[in-house]
Amino acid sequence: MKQKISLLVIALHFISFANAQSYNQLWIPDTLSGSNFYITAKDTFKQIVSGNQTITGGFNTNFWGPTLFFNKWDVVTVNVKNKLQDTTTVHWHGMHLPAIMDGGPHQKIAPNTTWSPYWHVKNNAATYWYHPHLDMMAQQQLTEGLGGFIIVRDSVERALNLPRTYGIDDIPLAITDRDIDHSTKQFVEVPYGDSIMVNGTLRPQYNVPAQVVRFRILDAAIETSYNLGFSDNRSFTVITTDGGLLNAPVAITGATPRFLISAGERVEILVNFTGQSGTSTFLKAYNSTLAQSVPGGDFFPGGPFASYLGKQNYNILKLNIGAQTANPVTTVPATLANNTYYNASQAVLSRTVTISDSSGVTTPPILGPTAFLINHKLFDIGYINYTVPLDNIEIWEIKSTSGFSHPFHIHDVEFNILSRNGAAPPAYEQGWKDVVLVKANETVRFIAKFDDYADALKPYMFHCHIALHEDEGMMGQFVVGQAPNGIMDIQTNKNMLIYPNPVSGIIRFEMANNVSISKTEIISTYGQTLIERKNEGQNTIDVSQLNPGMYFLKLTDINGISYIKSYYKN
Amino acid sequence: MAALFTPRWLIAACLVIISSGFKRPDKKPSSGEKMIDPFSLNDIYGNRFSLEDYKTEKGCIVIFTCSHCPFANLYHDRLNKINKKYSKAGFPLLAINPVSPLDFPEERVDELQKKAKANRYNFRYLIDSTQAIARNFGAVKTPHAFVLIRETRGWIIKYNGAIDDNGAHPEKVENAFVEKAVDELLSGKPLSVTETKSIGCKITITAK
Repeated sequence: MKQKISLLVIALHFISFANAQSYNQLWIPDTLSGSNFYITAKDTFKQIVSGNQTITGGFNTNFWGPTLFFNKWDVVTVNVKNKLQDTTTVHWHGMHLPAIMDGGPHQKIAPNTTWSPYWHVKNNAATYWYHPHLDMMAQQQLTEGLGGFIIVRDSVERALNLPRTYGIDDIPLAITDRDIDHSTKQFVEVPYGDSIMVNGTLRPQYNVPAQVVRFRILDAAIETSYNLGFSDNRSFTVITTDGGLLNAPVAITGATPRFLISAGERVEILVNFTGQSGTSTFLKAYNSTLAQSVPGGDFFPGGPFASYLGKQNYNILKLNIGAQTANPVTTVPATLANNTYYNASQAVLSRTVTISDSSGVTTPPILGPTAFLINHKLFDIGYINYTVPLDNIEIWEIKSTSGFSHPFHIHDVEFNILSRNGAAPPAYEQGWKDVVLVKANETVRFIAKFDDYADALKPYMFHCHIALHEDEGMMGQFVVGQAPNGIMDIQTNKNMLIYPNPVSGIIRFEMANNVSISKTEIISTYGQTLIERKNEGQNTIDVSQLNPGMYFLKLTDINGISYIKSYYKN
Repeated sequence: MAALFTPRWLIAACLVIISSGFKRPDKKPSSGEKMIDPFSLNDIYGNRFSLEDYKTEKGCIVIFTCSHCPFANLYHDRLNKINKKYSKAGFPLLAINPVSPLDFPEERVDELQKKAKANRYNFRYLIDSTQAIARNFGAVKTPHAFVLIRETRGWIIKYNGAIDDNGAHPEKVENAFVEKAVDELLSGKPLSVTETKSIGCKITITAK
């Protein structure tokens, strides 16, 4: 029933576009700047369609959130108050910062509490964003509308003659889609929507000046990729990808200039409207030409997962070209930045991350319906996939055997794509990235340096940025720095027995399976080794001189395998 | 078109998304009538109230609501109006707060008293501190309305869902679901709508 009605709604939706009526003014998010930021996540509502209001979530507003302006090298503190009825987390997507400040699934913010992470902004000038990242809840909280832009400025970008008057010639566009239930007017939590929204505005239009205009485009969708282009097939220029300016602008030209953007990715483009005052054009998604295996190029005719906009071309934003501003930018710079990229010969390690479908997996068997996997496993918040030594330059080879495309995102770093199926990436993908669309059965290699921040206990995430896939378990985690081996490996530690616990004088320990212990260590909760002793057959260690508190006992066997368990000292 | 559905990945993707449909079942109570055991709760002034205190009433309108939810807060005036109109007809309105003040300081009893005073509540406002009543009714959102009728066998839920179909703009309401249900019950007609989706803030059940 609902499908039929929604199809009708879609039909009406397109008719309304054709009539060029009922456009809504594009909402431009408010801005916050300085070094101390306050944002409050709250449950709220918004008049999105006529009739009842839609229950939404927003930071300081009723959908989405304010744009945070950071200057490179500033120390910023963002005070995040959670006024939602659920726990949440806020992840600073693309930011290079300590794992404990990252806002991944481990940095939970309980309702009515405030989390105040702070960090040194080391990212290049570019467009980043913030959004909820709670394990298994990302889709729900993103669907409600929680998110916001971060714009980083630096001296390199400032020295260029680029449009940077926010909301005038420098326009943020968070593109997403929602399925709106026609009877209740509420968002339906499904991966594909029937209504395109830009910055939370349905059927948006915006006035732009007749000069070079910069659009900061974010694919904020739950799942959809958008094959961007303009209705008059005008060319445009890519200047910035996820993590910074390209070395030189890349013109997207030809008979049908298109740029594919996927969930989580950002791109800054320049469009030249000089001399076109009084005309208009549409930013569109040309998804009819996408492969079936690309999110948005697929088509489901009905059911709770219908993709009404799948494999179609549709308008995203109407642009009305008006008068030029004073001091307009009318040309595109010839060069932009002088980035130093890593090359493959610098890498000390290459890791292969496989992404696959769960169908047919038997060891261990994945029960229930098909899901998508990383390294043949579903996400386990207690399992650390990798320990990356601090300052390592590594190649990550993302090898897909999945029949579907997945936007792969890694926290902590910006990377450079080395190859797609062995071939060099196109020029516009040669800059800094933190999301890459790994297409069906494709192998993508990228290189990154894991510098500055080490924490043996707090992991960073890597995952598919399709929120549904992430929630269902297409995610892994890594720590930077040497973790005490096995700290997360509870299975192994079941073999280890400590008593008494709490202890006041001497700890006794035993290992199952007659493992021979060669080294015994007592480690503080800060990771510092306090006592280290070569084992000579003893199964005791005297800890009477330690202050009361929690410690770890680490045993290393003759094969170099470590076991660790916490205990309490009275 | 059929060729569209043959690739294995498509079937896999379908299964995944179907699975998500099942993974988060809608907690909406099943439609149809449900008998409610008589309950007693304290109101915001500490007075005990029991459903059995209603001796002559034909039924009642139960609204689960709270103080922190922006959507619930749109309905103060409408609750007063509904109670004024229908308590005379034998269908008083009973508001019940199922949200813990530990989760939201706005739900502390002194705050509720302030709110009741500021908005001149003309209806009884009960506190469901154990959430037992909310669970028994199957209330999932604030506001969530139930229209009950008293029959010889007990109190029966006849309508379950939204108060009406426009929160912020009472003048644009097209379907006043609760009022219509009570009107139909009063005139002895079968209900034209017995269930809608309640819209507002989720009631987090934390008590055991």
